[in-house]
Amino acid sequence: MSKVIVVPCSGIGKVYGLMAREAALAVTDHLAKETSETICLAHIVTGDEEVTGKVCGQSCISIDGCASLCSFHSLEAAGGIVKGKFRSVDEMRFHRGANPGTGSDLTEVGWQITDELAAKIAVKVDEIQKEAK
Amino acid sequence: MAEKVGVLACSGEEYLGGTLSRLAVRHVMNKLRPGRVSTLCLPLYIAGGEEEREFAKKYPCIAVDACSKSCAKRATIKYSGAVRDVLVVSDVIGEEAASCRTVSARDLKPEHYAMMEKIADAICLKVDAILAE
Repeated sequence: MSKVIVVPCSGIGKVYGLMAREAALAVTDHLAKETSETICLAHIVTGDEEVTGKVCGQSCISIDGCASLCSFHSLEAAGGIVKGKFRSVDEMRFHRGANPGTGSDLTEVGWQITDELAAKIAVKVDEIQKEAK
Repeated sequence: MAEKVGVLACSGEEYLGGTLSRLAVRHVMNKLRPGRVSTLCLPLYIAGGEEEREFAKKYPCIAVDACSKSCAKRATIKYSGAVRDVLVVSDVIGEEAASCRTVSARDLKPEHYAMMEKIADAICLKVDAILAE
């Protein structure tokens, strides 16, 4: 069975980009290591046949930091089937007033929020894999 | 004479070089050359609008790529315009280090931050050369 492709925006300007990046890595390196993988978003943006061949028609999850939805739009442009769409900024609704850190470093609470997001994404990976069976 | 230089990181999610490219560009922007450097999330070439695609026309650009795939360079040329210079992270810290699978900020050690500073210094040399033209 194909692995679910999990792609964060890794936005460089704000903490939400780092949270998206770290949540994706927590899923693909630990929580759903056998059933998910990530691909460099910058490679997807180039539109190379090598990478669109990997993404096109595959189940994907996008994790974005902001309303621009860079990961979501890039995956769709490459022909990926986006079955899960997450935004790290949305997690802040459950942590009003918390300081998650900066685009370079997360605070302790930033890591906690990121881990909560990663857990939700891992559940979605499982759902997608079960649907595919 | 340019007042600002655009610096674009690939921020690749698959390898250490991507993590370091992202951190190094932020370090240059916030600490080493504040006010002289502008950046952009690379996938905004797809998800954004005309303004984002004008980036390389507005600023002389340096692409900071983790590996020889040169995604930041090629995406910029494809969507926005010419790049003035390129820094390939693997040329600075070596192929083996750049392609290492340690990607999460959770796992970064002092030696990784030393590599990041080396990359940031190399970016500054290129920024200064363009600003001095």
